Amino acid sequence: MIGAMTTRLIGLFVDDGFLAAAILAVVAVAALLASAAAAPWLAGLILALALPAALAASVALGARRARRET
Amino acid sequence: MANLTTVLSIAGASFAASFVEAVEALTIVLAVGVARGWRPALTGAAAAFAALALIVALLGPLIGAVPIRALQFAVGVLLLLFGLRWLRKAILRAIGVVALHDEDAAFQRQTRELTGAERGKERGLDFIAAATAFKAVLLEGTEVVFIVIAVGAARGLLGLASAGALAACIVVAAIGAAVHRPLARVPENALKFAVGVLLSAFGLFWTGESLGVEWPGGDAAILAFAALFLGVAAALVALLKPRLAKLA
Repeated sequence: MIGAMTTRLIGLFVDDGFLAAAILAVVAVAALLASAAAAPWLAGLILALALPAALAASVALGARRARRET
Repeated sequence: MANLTTVLSIAGASFAASFVEAVEALTIVLAVGVARGWRPALTGAAAAFAALALIVALLGPLIGAVPIRALQFAVGVLLLLFGLRWLRKAILRAIGVVALHDEDAAFQRQTRELTGAERGKERGLDFIAAATAFKAVLLEGTEVVFIVIAVGAARGLLGLASAGALAACIVVAAIGAAVHRPLARVPENALKFAVGVLLSAFGLFWTGESLGVEWPGGDAAILAFAALFLGVAAALVALLKPRLAKLA
């Protein structure tokens, strides 16, 4: 049961590896911009533009995979 | 002091997300009750609630000790991972790539499995049945606990988020007790769509705030981000659904 719970807990956050990696990469770039370049507004802009783009890319990839399988 | 936008969005997100999780837990508990009796179903569910209360009691004081910026960052990133995953799945369901979640089918499957499974009765309690109910409530409940912490902790509104979650659980339990059937008519994918949008918006807002971003409009930016994610999701459905339908 503990194994199932651990798998389920990880699965809460990571389903599509591409999406999870893209989110973490976007946050890392934003954090870097906010601290190194001292430009929090730019970090905000990156988050607001890149996260919806990551979602769109992940969904498009999922749909393409499904299309190939049919 | 939290404004009305914050209060409504936190309570609403917590209620809607917990409602979906409670519906899924109810389906399993009902299946256990129908297939193996109400004693193990309710015993398993009660034991899971006790375990969840213990988790909350252990985690609660720790949250207060974490600096607010670090808490906002951790919660923001986890909400982005959690919310965008939900939203992605809801979009894929809406365009027909992933099958819609069917509570009736889940109930039938679980009932069949439990009816066929060996009875593990020892000292009068059906342990296999009780463990099934325990696991379902604990797993779905863990998600509810995470959602409550994630939407409530970063603004110090854990009580409000907890009230939203508790209200959802009470509503689902009351309906379940009254109808003794899984809540198949609940538009689960539409709810998951809305919850994914809201949690992603909270995640974006808090991640930015933890990095020092001063969002225009303050907390009202959460609604703007919700509109942004909703717009992107709706556009993806409108774009991809006809293409996939042509191939089918």
